[in-house]
Amino acid sequence: MPFREINSKMVEATVTPGQKMFSQRGAMLAYRGDVSFTPNITGGQGGLASMIGRRVANEATPLMTVEGNGTVMFGHGGHHIQVVQLTGDTLYVEADRLLAFDGTLHQGTMFMGSQGGVMGMVRGQVTGQGLFTTTLGGHGAVAVMAHGGVIELPITPGRPVHVDPQAYVAHHGDVRNKLSTALGWRDMVGRGSGEAFQLELSGSGAVYVQASEEKL
Amino acid sequence: MSTPLVFDPTTLPSDDNVNAYTFCVELKGSQWFLQKGKMIAYYGRIDFNGIGHGRLDRLLRTSFHSPLHASDWVVAEGSGKMLLADRAFDVNSFDLDDGNLTIRAGNLLAYQPTLALKQSIVPGFLTLIGTGKFVAASNGPVVFMEPPVRVDPQALVGWADCPSPCHHYDHGYMTGVMGGVRALTGIGGASGEEHQFEFVGAGTVLLQSSEVLMPEQATGVVGSEPGVPSGHAPAGGPGQHGSAPRLPGQLGDLQRRFGL
Repeated sequence: MPFREINSKMVEATVTPGQKMFSQRGAMLAYRGDVSFTPNITGGQGGLASMIGRRVANEATPLMTVEGNGTVMFGHGGHHIQVVQLTGDTLYVEADRLLAFDGTLHQGTMFMGSQGGVMGMVRGQVTGQGLFTTTLGGHGAVAVMAHGGVIELPITPGRPVHVDPQAYVAHHGDVRNKLSTALGWRDMVGRGSGEAFQLELSGSGAVYVQASEEKL
Repeated sequence: MSTPLVFDPTTLPSDDNVNAYTFCVELKGSQWFLQKGKMIAYYGRIDFNGIGHGRLDRLLRTSFHSPLHASDWVVAEGSGKMLLADRAFDVNSFDLDDGNLTIRAGNLLAYQPTLALKQSIVPGFLTLIGTGKFVAASNGPVVFMEPPVRVDPQALVGWADCPSPCHHYDHGYMTGVMGGVRALTGIGGASGEEHQFEFVGAGTVLLQSSEVLMPEQATGVVGSEPGVPSGHAPAGGPGQHGSAPRLPGQLGDLQRRFGL
């Protein structure tokens, strides 16, 4: 496992020769050994097409490639960090929440509309994800940033989880999500509970929720 | 759901953390130095005297050697318990036993007068020498590391028993043909990790868990005399970023204007 959590706001990653790692630019706090940090023009994996895709989708976050031999500490902006282990499934996360991830993971961009059509796009607007989100698939570890602590809520079949869209951080597994509305006449006259929109996730997997409704 | 803990003068800890963000100092006729504005509450009878007044001169002579930023510090004197905090940053106390520790000026909250505070040769840092306790703030818990290590300038809190840090520059990716294009046009931007502080030798390096800096605290200006580093402007100390040296063939600040 390449990431070791030092405390809630800092992770230590081990870099070995021949193994790449991607991290957000400027997120390195300290390192030991012989490690190089190269800004990544394409903003992650794949070639030019992937880069253009990410630029169009506004999921191009400034990344750098971390290579060499040593250990690196990562942390950024005082945000809490959650390490997610992926074993063959796909993590859906906003690109600017990515602190660092294994180079072995396959990075992609997903159109929100492809999960639930128009409602998917509305969902993207409400959660602040926009029309696109980043996917990471394969085997490896991802360090995700969140404002406040992170809670992992397991999703099991038949037991959907409802999440405040603003507190949503990421999810992985075979999960369908839809935006459920609880709009009533009270919302129309401005006496709503403030919880009119919820994200309903069902299937099997896990969702990560931050202890704050503040965006990064 | 836990109910909030209620403290009174007897249950407050003595010279220990109340929670991660608050530190309680017990005064029994003793004195503490603290940075102005970091006391949030106190029990008992405590006087806060700005330093620079006559009756504290003796104390200042022994444990305050940074005369030009004396106006940022006060001496707490009396008996009681005093709570220190700084904008919800993590607060920790450290014990020095006949040791020395250098710390970023903005991170130091308070210290016992058995320690002597001196300006470090490294601008923007203060050195504590002697035996005693001091309280420091950091963004996120402090992590201790052993040299050799290279540290992001913004993540450095301080160091103990180490020789002074030196600057380390990584420009590997700016060399070669592609690197030249990158440096000239700014395409690709900078990694933001070209510049670190490098520590070697024996000692301990203190690191905070994020790159959020405490506001720079003036350490006072050292008199400009030959041989004194940064004998002039206190700004632009080691905490400042983007001070990579100009490379040959670099068109002014073009890359900074285009990239990051």
